[in-house]
Amino acid sequence: MTRMAQDHEPNDDSTDLELIARWKAGDERAATSLVARHAPALARFAISLGQRTDVDEVVQDTFVRAFGSLHSFRADSSLRTWLFTIQRRLILDRRRSERRRRDDTSVDDVDAATEFDALDEIVADEAESRVKKAVDQLSRLQKEVFLLRVNEGLSYKEVAEVVGSTEGAARVHYHNAMRAVKESLYV
Amino acid sequence: MFDCANVEMRELLPELAAGTLDDATRARVERHIGSCAECASELETLRLVRSAYAVTPTVDVRRIAAALPKAVLLPEGAHKGPPVKRWVDWRVAAALTMISVGGLSLALAHRRSTEAPPRDSTVAVPSVDTSSAQPGKPAVVGSPPGGHDTTRRINRSGVPATPPPKAQLAFAGGMDDMDDTSIKALLGALDEMDRAPVAPSEEPDPTPVLPVIKTGQP
Repeated sequence: MTRMAQDHEPNDDSTDLELIARWKAGDERAATSLVARHAPALARFAISLGQRTDVDEVVQDTFVRAFGSLHSFRADSSLRTWLFTIQRRLILDRRRSERRRRDDTSVDDVDAATEFDALDEIVADEAESRVKKAVDQLSRLQKEVFLLRVNEGLSYKEVAEVVGSTEGAARVHYHNAMRAVKESLYV
Repeated sequence: MFDCANVEMRELLPELAAGTLDDATRARVERHIGSCAECASELETLRLVRSAYAVTPTVDVRRIAAALPKAVLLPEGAHKGPPVKRWVDWRVAAALTMISVGGLSLALAHRRSTEAPPRDSTVAVPSVDTSSAQPGKPAVVGSPPGGHDTTRRINRSGVPATPPPKAQLAFAGGMDDMDDTSIKALLGALDEMDRAPVAPSEEPDPTPVLPVIKTGQP
C-alpha cells in the first residue's frame, strides 16, 4: 500500500564516497545510511516510471544490484544518478518481461491508463491530478527526463546519463515536455 | 503560450523550485521572475509537478540493507578493480603451453641431431666360422651347423661393443658416412677379431621354454 513517506535522511553527514569506502571496509551501517539516503528518491522515480506495484521490491533490487557491482562505480557521476540508471534499466527489463506475458499488448498504453488510475487514488487534490494526467500523456522518454529534472533536480548531463542520451537531447526533451504540460494545464 | 527569451533564467527555474540555488543566484532569478510572467507561470507549474510527485511509498530501509551483499574485504594490495576476464587467462595459458611445447620439441630435435644418429646405428655382421678356416682358404660365412646365431655387431669406431667372448660389435652410423681409410681400418679390426678364438656362449638360450602341462588324457 502506498502512503506518505518520510525521507530517511541518515544522521551520517559523510559523503556517498566516504560511506562506500566504509562499507567496503566492512562497516555495514554505512550501507544502511546509503539506503536511507537514496531509497525515497528511488521509490519516487520508480512511481514516475509507471511502477505501480512492488515499488519496495524494485528499490531493493536496485540496491542489491548496485552493491553487487559497486567496484565498477567510478564516481564520475553521483551515486544517486548511478542508482537511477540501474533502476531505470531494471524497470525496463521488468516491463519487457511483462509485455511478453501479456502477448503484444501495448505497454505504454496500459501504463498510461492504469498508472493514472493507481496514482489517482492517492492524489486528492484536483490540481495535482491534472498535473499527473498532463505528465502521463508525455512520451516515456519525455516523462523520464522531465521528472528527473524537476523532481530530482538532476542536471541535463546527469539526466542524459540516466536515460542513455546526450545532454542536448535531454534539454530538448525537457523543453518539449514542459511545453506539453503547460498546454495541457492552461490551454 | 510563450516561453521566456531569457534562456539562462529559464534553465535555473527547476533548481529554484528544488531550492538548490545559492543565495546570490536565487536572488537574481527571483528578481527576473518579478518582471517575467512566463517564468512565473513556469515556476508555478514546476511547483505543482513537484507537489504532485512528492508522495512516495515507504521503503523498509532495514530490510533492504539486510538484503545487500556483504562487502568482500580484500587484502592490502589486492586487485580491487573489475575482475579480469577469464578468457584472457585462458589465452595466456594457451600461449605459454604452446611456447613450452614448441621449445621442448626444438630442444629434443637439436639433441637428436647432435647426439643420436638419424637412422639405425647397428650393422649386422654375419658370423665367421673360424673353426673351419684353413690357411689359404676363406672362412665360411654364415650360421654354424648347429643353427646358433652368432651374428656380431660392430660400431663405427671399430672397437668391440661387447667383450671378446661374445664377439659382437656395435656400429654407430652408416657405412656411407665412412671414407676409405676408415673402412680399411674397420676391416682390419674385423680381421683381428676373426683371428681371435670364439668362446662358446655360456648364456642360456633366451628362447622361453613353455612348461608342459599334463592333462591326464592320451
